[in-house]
Amino acid sequence: MPIQLKELCRRADDVNELLARYGVKFGIYKGGKFHEQLFPFDMIPRIIDASDFAYLERGLKQRVKALNEFIKDIYSERKIIRDGVIAEEFIYSGSGYLVQCDGLAPPKNIYTHISGIDLVQGKDQSWYILEDNLRIPSGASYPMMARNLCRRSAPEIFEQYAIADNRNYPEILLRTMNYVNTGGLSVILTPGRFNAAYFEHSYFAEKTGAHLVTCDELVVENEHLYFTDYSGKREKVGAVYRRISDEYLDPVNFNRESLIGIAHIFDVYARGNLAIINAPGNGVADDKGIYYFVPAMIKYYLGEEPILQNAPTYLPYYEQDMQYVLENFDKLVLKDVAEAGGYGVLFGSKLSRTEKENFIALLKSEPRRFIAQEVIDFLDIDIYDNDKLVPRKADLRAFVLMSDEPVVWKSGLTRFSRNPDSFIVNSSQGGGFKDTWVMEA
Amino acid sequence: MSALSFENINKLYWLGRYSERVFTSLKAFAEKFDAMLSYGSHESRAEFAQRICFDKSDQSSIYSGLLKAYDNAIVLRDEIGSETFSYVQLALYEMSRAEKAVAPLLHLQKVIDNIVAFWGMADDIIEDERVRGIIKLGKRIERIDLFARMGAPENDIRREVRRMSYRIAKTGVRYEPEKLSEINSMANESVINRPEFINKLEALIEI
Repeated sequence: MPIQLKELCRRADDVNELLARYGVKFGIYKGGKFHEQLFPFDMIPRIIDASDFAYLERGLKQRVKALNEFIKDIYSERKIIRDGVIAEEFIYSGSGYLVQCDGLAPPKNIYTHISGIDLVQGKDQSWYILEDNLRIPSGASYPMMARNLCRRSAPEIFEQYAIADNRNYPEILLRTMNYVNTGGLSVILTPGRFNAAYFEHSYFAEKTGAHLVTCDELVVENEHLYFTDYSGKREKVGAVYRRISDEYLDPVNFNRESLIGIAHIFDVYARGNLAIINAPGNGVADDKGIYYFVPAMIKYYLGEEPILQNAPTYLPYYEQDMQYVLENFDKLVLKDVAEAGGYGVLFGSKLSRTEKENFIALLKSEPRRFIAQEVIDFLDIDIYDNDKLVPRKADLRAFVLMSDEPVVWKSGLTRFSRNPDSFIVNSSQGGGFKDTWVMEA
Repeated sequence: MSALSFENINKLYWLGRYSERVFTSLKAFAEKFDAMLSYGSHESRAEFAQRICFDKSDQSSIYSGLLKAYDNAIVLRDEIGSETFSYVQLALYEMSRAEKAVAPLLHLQKVIDNIVAFWGMADDIIEDERVRGIIKLGKRIERIDLFARMGAPENDIRREVRRMSYRIAKTGVRYEPEKLSEINSMANESVINRPEFINKLEALIEI
């Protein structure tokens, strides 16, 4: 599509200035100190045509449904283990499995309310799933805010082309919260101003009308959760969109040292008196080791062939895969399953001989801790850098929100590496972002 | 009208106070800066600007006041809205430009303009009357406090006390009516006992 790239780029400085004006930032800790940084925005969007998006939409819905079924099964009957589809070591040895969730069912049996699925597109145009983020995926606010400003800066483009409006994310989010709400307020629970994604927490609160709260404003009493206002009056809370990880959510039930959680909130949830979004215990399914099994899950729970494919992945835990990894070490990327945010990622080809020897020793002693993947030669996307277009690696985080049915948001966060030699696109490692335009048919 | 937590009431109140502190202090600073051109001073203009305005290590500098306004505003986006918040962000941006400028007053005027725009936007866009009212209450109390400390004429203080008294009952913020009456009586004396007046004013609100 002949989008007027030059027109867009000409206005890049103005849009970045507006993003700064609205405080579109993320937090980062460097040397133990908190810094707020602007998230560099590139005006050239990723464009997905209608038929490609329809394909992604089908595949993403299918994947999220299967993942939801998997979590439900793991915390109830564990049929998938009994039937030998997944070895139980992969469930119980992962840090995401929470024994406290055994036998509990969340409201409406929804665990994966908000899923952030990371994909890349190969040079052959095929899409590959890289990761399933089912705990607290972040990032939808950035393209939404950027879209608002780009519409101001290049109105003729949005007038001329049928680009799906992505500013409906808060509506979909609110519908998701309301659908599982057990009766009461919907709130967004933030760890506070010094969290990396605080901008997003406050922006979604503003746009959904949900209260933005910290742990001090919520209290558990008589098996319910309450928000306490200035006058001391209490209002029942029915849904908490928490932006706090499981371990810090409740100092009584999880990490006792947590200062940002709410004592007994998990008990309220266990009684069925509260929806927690996303459900506690979801980490069992977004473990990088479990990712390997998602195609098998789709077949097992839905009786369907997976629409979207994983990047070719190996589990050194299995002897055959370990052999392959050792033989092909230099052409693989290795990921520590416990890490996130682009950390714990090693490219075999970039290690020195000593580093390689040390890593292989570690791999052999802790095979469950790592996965290996073929390095996908993903499609470069142009960015506008110093008055010229240069290609950079980029991924796409698609958002799937579940209420009565999964809804795939018609946009997504496209993250790119600013370093020409890097595949790491994470904001915490200097990456930037683009808007994602889904074209209407 | 949605429920407001204790924390947010506190932050709204201090957002009002710090925004007013920056506004009134900058106006006073600009007057003094200008006077130095005619009458000179024991310190250079640059030293004076650094000490009063830009020294972030001094909690009472104007820049520190603006940073505190920002710290309160950024955690109130859900109450005040991104549009309103953006003017505090813009004020901070202009302050950082003023710090590096050869003629800082030009940029400081933009800081003042953005503070005024922030108040205007807050008044226009915030639906919840209490949220608007608490910001204004903070602003009024800070202005009275600064006027009393900076030697403003008695009539100016009386006017501000009247405006604050009108506002306070509408906010739902806890205060003691007897203390408010005492403040009004003191403000109406021919010469205000300023230290005592300031003490009473600072004890008025229970936040």
